[in-house]
Amino acid sequence: MNKLLHHLIDIWEVFANEVRYVFHDAGVLLLFFVATLLYPFIFAAVYHSEMVLNIPVAVVDESNSEASHRFIHKLDATPELEVEYRCCTMEEAKRLMRSHKVHAIVLFPRDYGTRIARIETARACLFCDMSTFLYYRSVMTGASNVLVDEMKFIEMQRCEMQGLTEADAEGQVTPIGYEDVKLFSAPGGFTSFLVPPLLVLVIHQTLFLGIGVLFGTAREKRHFAAIPLRLRRGATVRIMFGRSLAYLMMYIPVVFIDLFVLPRVFGFPHIGAIGTLVGFLLPFMLATIFFSITMAGFFRERDTIIVTCIFFSIILLFLSGTVWPQSNMPTVWRWFSYLFPSTPGVQGFIRINAMGAHLSEVAFEYRLLWAQTGVYFFTACTSLRLMSYLRRKNII
Amino acid sequence: MNASFVNTWRRELRYLARRPRYVVLLTLGLAFSYLFFLTLMTEGQPAKLPVAIVDQDGSYLSRRLCHEIEATQGVHVVAVYQNHAQARAAMQRQEIFAFYEIPKDIYADVLAFKAPKVSLYASNAYLMPGSFSYKSLATIGKLAAAAVQREVLRKKGYPEKQVMGIIQPVELDTHTISNAETSYMPYVLTTVLPGILGVMVLLFTIYLVSDERKRRTMADWMRTAQGNVTAAVVAKLLPYTLWFSLLGILGNIILFRYAHFTLLGSSVMLSLMVVLMVLSQQAMGVFLASLIPEQHLAISVGAIYGMLSFTMSGFSYPATNMPPFLQSVSYLFPLRHYYLSYVDIALYGNGIAYYWTSLLGFMVFLLLGMVGIVLLSRETRRLRVSVSQEVSPVNVDVQ
Repeated sequence: MNKLLHHLIDIWEVFANEVRYVFHDAGVLLLFFVATLLYPFIFAAVYHSEMVLNIPVAVVDESNSEASHRFIHKLDATPELEVEYRCCTMEEAKRLMRSHKVHAIVLFPRDYGTRIARIETARACLFCDMSTFLYYRSVMTGASNVLVDEMKFIEMQRCEMQGLTEADAEGQVTPIGYEDVKLFSAPGGFTSFLVPPLLVLVIHQTLFLGIGVLFGTAREKRHFAAIPLRLRRGATVRIMFGRSLAYLMMYIPVVFIDLFVLPRVFGFPHIGAIGTLVGFLLPFMLATIFFSITMAGFFRERDTIIVTCIFFSIILLFLSGTVWPQSNMPTVWRWFSYLFPSTPGVQGFIRINAMGAHLSEVAFEYRLLWAQTGVYFFTACTSLRLMSYLRRKNII
Repeated sequence: MNASFVNTWRRELRYLARRPRYVVLLTLGLAFSYLFFLTLMTEGQPAKLPVAIVDQDGSYLSRRLCHEIEATQGVHVVAVYQNHAQARAAMQRQEIFAFYEIPKDIYADVLAFKAPKVSLYASNAYLMPGSFSYKSLATIGKLAAAAVQREVLRKKGYPEKQVMGIIQPVELDTHTISNAETSYMPYVLTTVLPGILGVMVLLFTIYLVSDERKRRTMADWMRTAQGNVTAAVVAKLLPYTLWFSLLGILGNIILFRYAHFTLLGSSVMLSLMVVLMVLSQQAMGVFLASLIPEQHLAISVGAIYGMLSFTMSGFSYPATNMPPFLQSVSYLFPLRHYYLSYVDIALYGNGIAYYWTSLLGFMVFLLLGMVGIVLLSRETRRLRVSVSQEVSPVNVDVQ
């Protein structure tokens, strides 16, 4: 009983020390509490509109027919596109495109109207600005919708001219109806797609960099409380408990705000059950903490980790499988991505929070996180023992 | 002036030879990034996305639809489910990105002209796979309807020639400018990789400048430069300007020469833009390092600012769509100017008349670097006075 109490006191001391370090380090505070709260707001402000709408478009109408006029009118009526310029020649439209005044050109060739009248397939040309994916996506959405609508309109018109009743015409034009249902994210936009994974990544990266900075400082300033000279039996485990508990406690409010409050405030999808989320985020946090402690062992100076590792955040974003699907990654990179807690963290969080999955549907990610927790706990202990050994030998 | 420059340059090279760690690590990191991004998205567009079919009819027609879906490029049918709930659970497990639901009695309803509906359920939680598989599946939706329609028209005795004109009265011929295969790679790589280089240069510059302060070698630095702050800063950073510009240009050679991304305009101008971006990041680094005296704070601030440049450059989310205030803020990031000039040079082959504003933007950053130099010279005024008077060259410290 007495021994247990001693152990608890040990853990408490480590815990208190760790918290003290964090609150005496402006750089770490900036990462832990400013960056984690600043980024979500910046992201929400930058990506404030889900879709890219009202993209300026130029049309070149060489056919000048009723059909082309109707098409242009419909283009203008889509939320995605806005016909801002009507050009006489393609050259003129190209000039507008070059100077980024428009992001798409629609060209109706001279025979557009006559072909429709002759019941042949008429062809319109769409030139699309490819400088960002979202322009392309919106232009294609808008133009395809108009195309489908216009095809149906022309077919219906012809059927009616043949004297078919509206119901019969409908049956002939659309023998099989088609309906699309978008699941899990009603707006289907960029904001609710990109920001939640970014929030998980911000938590992962600030912890990683923050812990790295703390350990680097300890070694640089020869602040050796972090690396004891001698480790009693079981001391390594107690130190790890105290440290991880300290980071976990400090991050509870951060995680609460970033992953619970903000999705509700900004209206990102949040249909996940709270219990499931908490159950899932616990191994995520633990895995991240032990991963960071392990990695921190490699850095001798406080700022090395930020200067040399920050670029990795971008790579982690792509590894997490949100931008580029995991099923289409080369196998090597998929296995590589399982080394980092951020991958299962992001995947699981999106599926729980945006798609309402339960732990059973994210079982793979959940188990992977616990496996990472176990492995990185072990490596973190080993790295501490190694440092302590190196210190005894006066190598560091 | 000349001697002060040469001496500082030599001093920096000596320092670099003694501690090459950072430059080596950053170079390796950059090489890794190029390798990673060039091999991650080799497909260009995510091909063969896993999808499923819920076939509730099991008739001749529904099976024909299944075949058509299976034969479509871009999707891969991994399962046929009995009911909606199974498919939805598979989606949550992320085994599939979308599924196609064929209702009961579809064949009978088609024959009875009841226009039954086939539904596509696409996951929107993932934008890229969601929208790509969505496009493929939507095409199938139209194709399936057209197949039935064609049969109806034939049986009604229309000549084969007219059938196509009736089924598809209008066609949209899409030309994607300077990215014919609509590959996702050029979107990402052309800006993200120079962006990574930029962040590295920014943070490394902050580290270099503030390290003189931290190691208390400011006096030595100024003495080597004979009290000339401009020469001190420029000569100290020049080796890295050259090295990182070289890496950036090499990177662009890989992207445009070996990965065959479109480069319509002048490669010399694009290389110049890389150099200007590196210089701007260095200038920003000098500014931040001289503004914030404490090294780790400066680096943390630099890190937060640097990572934002990916968002603010507007390569993924167009800046024109940001709130007006943030649109102007976006110009405070060198990567934004690089991205804008890249679009003009590479995608449109535009002349300098189109992107002189980007050049101007880079110049503003260089001015900011000069402000940094002024701040540094104010900070080291006492030091330099003692240096120039040759009073006691040793034992002079900043702090």
